[in-house]
Amino acid sequence: MPDHVHLSLPPLDQSTVQYAPDDAVDFVIVGSGAAGGVMAKELSTAGFRVVVLEQGPWRTEKDFVHDELKIWNEAWLTNDFRVSPNTFRATAHDKARVQPAILYGRGVGGTTVHFSANYWRFREIDFVEASRTGAIAGTGFADWPITYQELEPYYTKVDWEVGVAGVPAPSDPPRSKPYPMPPHPPKSTGVLLEQGAAKLGWTAHPAPLAIASTPLPGRGACIQCGLCLGFGCEVRAKSSSLVSVIPVAVATGRCEVRPDSYVRKIETDTAGRVTGVKYFDARKAEIFQRAKAVVVCANGAETPRLLLNSKSQRFPHGLANSSGVVGTHLMFNGGGTSLGVFEHEVNGFKGLVASRVVWDLYELDPALGLVGGGGFDYRFDLTPIQFATGDGLPPDSPRWGREYKRLLAHNYTRTIECYGHTSSLPMPTNTITLDPTVKDAWGIPAIRMTYQDHPQDLRLYKYFTDRAEDLLKASGAVRTWQRPVESQAFSVHLLGTCRMGNDPATSVVDKFHRAHDVPNLFIVDGSSLVTCGRGQPTMTIQALAFRAGEHVAGFAGRGEI
Amino acid sequence: MDQSRRSFLALTGSTAAAIWLADVDALLAAGRHAATADAFIVFSAADAADIEAACAQIVPTDETPGAREARVIYFIDKALDTFARGQRNEWVKGARLLRSKAARVDRAARTFADLRPELQIAVLASLEKDKVPFFQELRNAAIAGMLASPEHGGNFEKTGWKMIGFDDRFVWTAPFGWYDRDA
Repeated sequence: MPDHVHLSLPPLDQSTVQYAPDDAVDFVIVGSGAAGGVMAKELSTAGFRVVVLEQGPWRTEKDFVHDELKIWNEAWLTNDFRVSPNTFRATAHDKARVQPAILYGRGVGGTTVHFSANYWRFREIDFVEASRTGAIAGTGFADWPITYQELEPYYTKVDWEVGVAGVPAPSDPPRSKPYPMPPHPPKSTGVLLEQGAAKLGWTAHPAPLAIASTPLPGRGACIQCGLCLGFGCEVRAKSSSLVSVIPVAVATGRCEVRPDSYVRKIETDTAGRVTGVKYFDARKAEIFQRAKAVVVCANGAETPRLLLNSKSQRFPHGLANSSGVVGTHLMFNGGGTSLGVFEHEVNGFKGLVASRVVWDLYELDPALGLVGGGGFDYRFDLTPIQFATGDGLPPDSPRWGREYKRLLAHNYTRTIECYGHTSSLPMPTNTITLDPTVKDAWGIPAIRMTYQDHPQDLRLYKYFTDRAEDLLKASGAVRTWQRPVESQAFSVHLLGTCRMGNDPATSVVDKFHRAHDVPNLFIVDGSSLVTCGRGQPTMTIQALAFRAGEHVAGFAGRGEI
Repeated sequence: MDQSRRSFLALTGSTAAAIWLADVDALLAAGRHAATADAFIVFSAADAADIEAACAQIVPTDETPGAREARVIYFIDKALDTFARGQRNEWVKGARLLRSKAARVDRAARTFADLRPELQIAVLASLEKDKVPFFQELRNAAIAGMLASPEHGGNFEKTGWKMIGFDDRFVWTAPFGWYDRDA
């Protein structure tokens, strides 16, 4: 079985410099994903000595497999709930139960290794939407301390240094440079979305994707393998941190990447400064790595957990948490999905996930009385087992037997999911806290998630589900149905939990990602987001990281840390 | 209990041996076990025959191959020796449950595999209706055995993938489907 398709690419260099734990390096970075990878590159190329601690292994494309059973059964690329559980409750009045609520990439490159690579920029509105909309009860809806214009040069860095393929659309926010690579082909899903959108008076644009459409130095172009979401790229076309920014950091000779390093605590001194990071190595031996400064890039769930687990006499409520804001305002993005079956073969299982997008509802007509907005794509990201065990067939289908088998055989190649990706509101009551009793396999208090969607958002999700079905009908689907809209209890987007702001009483980091409470602690990842955009946060996380990297390097160079 | 290929075939071919061994269940199973008789690691021959019969109702053999031809039973057997080790007891109990239900709908039936197809379907439908956890496990395992990579022991000769139209080439160029044939 051709389980692997590999180009003869030169092997990725994994031989990094080695620092002693007692050697106080300039920066310890916790996490090697979307933000951690960029920070490692920016700080090491600026001349600083950097140690990156990653809880997962350092795999490369030679290790990646097209085996859905292995991927999911073994949590092969992701957090392993069996050793690192979490609890969930909808509100603080409910009893939190042990049930998986988060999924993120575990390994060098983080979630960028297995994501779908949809790279939408945020737009001007995303940074000022709160003041445009007005206050909403029950939320901490706020404007950002920075604007799109301030972030634009760093979005461009993401395009060029990480690698994004696309073509500017008329509705795009202003951009200072074109895309470095042309867009990917439309696939049947894209052609159908173009036709459906046109019928509704909308336009489908080539999707901006962090996937190489042309070869890049040391990287192959996408071969449209079809197993993108959930899997590692075997030709280095997906612009993961693993193949884009981390190799650059390693090549400086100043950046040490330490895989299999599970961080448990950030240590501080009596002056309230960070002194280093305590972590467990692969053999569960505890090591203390000294550092002049620490950058936390562990994602919107693990970052607040680490801060809350880093209590001390000076920081009794958790590190950098004098405001009590750490872990609050958790956002997932939201959305609505409808599915359709078409007369002819779509073969959505071939090729990348989403080739075309519709942004006509990015901002909504105020007459609708809804907050936020979003965008649509057509996709088919269900692996064979996922499709057949329950996610793919119409809800009234038999679940086994002759007719079930007939439907599987007919529908697998003809089904499309229309995803409406939307905003969701930041709420102080949606939180990551520490579970009072449940611990992980290392004995560290586990994540307790409290999350319930705002009623406004549930209305928005329903609106987008309805429009998703409209699109499928307009594209000529023979049969359509909706996925039910309900308050979310599981997410791969973990955002807003250490929000950025000018006021130390209402935010965790300043606009340069420095913790208000701790001068040599920086936090850069999904937790920094003030609002969550329209469903594709990674590009903004990386733009923030490029911007933070530049400023933090400047502070360090001027002795301002 | 290990069932080596040899003893399995010996049982099939020899009533005397079977009586000698006084393992009537195994004898009955042997006569009905359709897949090539490779060794089972976890299942007894009797349990394998009943589980396989149940899987063959989840994904039946009709004009095209089903769970039986995809060797789903070997997938489950291997799973219970590897990533699903912890579930062995549930499956042994599950096979027993199938047999006891079979006896209830047909007093002559010694095994689930013995039942007429429509009665097998009735038994499974009642398990599904009563939300018996083993039914969901059986269903999911049968489907996974059809569609997981063949290296896991099922999806023999890509039977399951061929059934749904999935192709594991993992390199594609346009056109991807009917609608982008002119794109």
